[in-house]
Amino acid sequence: MSTLKHKGKGPQAMTANELRSGLNVWMTADYEWSRDYTDALLTEDETVIAKMDAVAKAAERFNEVVGAYFIDTVEGKPTRYRERFRTHGPTYDTAELI
Amino acid sequence: MYRYDEFDQEFVESRVAQFRDQVERRLDGRLSETEFRPLRLMNGLYLQLHAYMLRVAVPYGTLRSEQLRMLAHLADTYDKGYGHVTTRQNMQYNWPKLGDVPHMLADLASVEMHAIQTSGNCIRNVTCDPYAGAAGDEIEDPRPMAELIRQWSMLHPEFSFLPRKFKIAVTGAPTHDRAMVRAHDIGIEIVRNAAGETGYHIIVGGGLGRTPVIGQTLRAFLPKADLLPYLEATMRVYNRFGRRDNKYKARIKILVRETGIEDFTRLVEEEFAALEPSDIAVGREELDRIAAYFAPPEYRNDIKAFDLSAQPEGFRKWVDTNVVPHKQNGYAIVNISLKDPERAPGDITAEQMRAVADLADAHSFGEVRTTHQQNMVLAHVRQDHLRALWDELVKAGLEDANINLIGDIICCPGMDFCALATARSIPVAQAIANRFDDHARQQAIGEMQIKISGCINACGHHHVGHVGILGLEKAGVEFYQVTLGGDATQTATIGDKMGAGFSQEELVDGIERIVNFYLDQREQGERFLDTYRRIGTPAFKEALYAKA
Repeated sequence: MSTLKHKGKGPQAMTANELRSGLNVWMTADYEWSRDYTDALLTEDETVIAKMDAVAKAAERFNEVVGAYFIDTVEGKPTRYRERFRTHGPTYDTAELI
Repeated sequence: MYRYDEFDQEFVESRVAQFRDQVERRLDGRLSETEFRPLRLMNGLYLQLHAYMLRVAVPYGTLRSEQLRMLAHLADTYDKGYGHVTTRQNMQYNWPKLGDVPHMLADLASVEMHAIQTSGNCIRNVTCDPYAGAAGDEIEDPRPMAELIRQWSMLHPEFSFLPRKFKIAVTGAPTHDRAMVRAHDIGIEIVRNAAGETGYHIIVGGGLGRTPVIGQTLRAFLPKADLLPYLEATMRVYNRFGRRDNKYKARIKILVRETGIEDFTRLVEEEFAALEPSDIAVGREELDRIAAYFAPPEYRNDIKAFDLSAQPEGFRKWVDTNVVPHKQNGYAIVNISLKDPERAPGDITAEQMRAVADLADAHSFGEVRTTHQQNMVLAHVRQDHLRALWDELVKAGLEDANINLIGDIICCPGMDFCALATARSIPVAQAIANRFDDHARQQAIGEMQIKISGCINACGHHHVGHVGILGLEKAGVEFYQVTLGGDATQTATIGDKMGAGFSQEELVDGIERIVNFYLDQREQGERFLDTYRRIGTPAFKEALYAKA
């Protein structure tokens, strides 16, 4: 499973894209997927992380999501700028002006 | 304009059916993502930062009005009501759903369009001077050549898995390059030799990205009949010797640089000499058949002189900025700016697409061009129709009078949409455009090209902007590096890197300082680029970094 430059430091979150819509999702405490990052499960518990990894791999196998990977977080937010950006979507979208 | 023959149409429709089946197999799990990814990319479908993105090919930036209406239909039906014109003259949609893409491709096929070879390590959409067939400075219309190259390169079995993507640009106006041919893997100019014959100047090894290079002459004059065999020979040399061990060194510019232009030319000439041209070259009859599709429209010769003096100021400003001379008396080339300061450069709503399509039907023989500068062109407009056309553009919100001015900014989607980006570029373009929104000020500044890329891959062509801006990020903070003195034309130049980067706010202030410095220093008739070249880097750098 890709880590996309994440170091495995601090609380981990699992993210992916929905296969059908392509939209960003994060794994929740119920091991489901949410399009809202505030629902994301953040944990340093190795047992939970192992379960998240297994659930994500299964979700990829069952064609629910694609490209699942762990991200590092700090103070409740993704550490990498790119990942923080993914949590809120584009800051500009022409669709909002139509 | 070119129309598909029976083979073209059957092929495109078969690809739609093939992809529909592939999507179904992906959705029900018979194909894994690993298996599916190369298949979707071959059909222009990316997975970007927030969603899928479909890139539709607009061959050499030319559209019929019903094709533009179909692009509007796609935007309304399957996306969020708008599309984005790219720096390769294509149209992108930012929010399609996977299950809808086969429907989108089927709709495109119904108007002789597709998304093939808009991604992957193949020969991409050939780009072209948007004034082709209309400009007075042109030796010959380059579109028949572009169409020939499109047909030759489409699914070429030898060149479907190149070391890296491959971009070709063509122009028929070598004295006013509007196609950026020196910044392409291969650039082709139509030229005349001393005997007055027309042929091709073949330029190779240009490109932007992380290693910007200006292309070099491979053949100063290539007889027209040799075009495809010579391109075939060049591609074979690249395919054989281009590096496949490192994607950052796989473009032909690196091969040309490492081989040296003399040795690279020798390799191509040897391959060319060994080819059997009759296997590849196209006969006169076929060339004439293709050229016939691009025959000039039936111009009228009775168009009365058009008096601007009695027209409203807004219209006169627009004519002054967006309308350029046509080779035919009584006609004009109209640039439609997609650079509303409040929008993302290149974005156009479905409603606006339909408005442009209607205007093309009413005033420009039903034809529309997209430009690498992310605007649109109506190439053959009667001068006495300009006012009626402008009135409709105003209703559609497409009357921005800023072509080639500081507000006409080239800008990639940046971090707002692109998975590769390191920083945002759209808000930077908007901030600059708003700072210089006053039309009189833009006019006073004159020609000035700002180009913004949200990462080192340089889709916003920042290396060849008069002012180039590269967005980067460190420790969660976006910052912007500046280059000055770049040039995308026949005098192509890579811009000079300045020093430390700026925050977005500091950047806009810095640009205002160098603009003011230029206005203060320029001599009669000078553009920003001319003044920069005359005075040199240190003085402009000092102005850029001057403290308020």
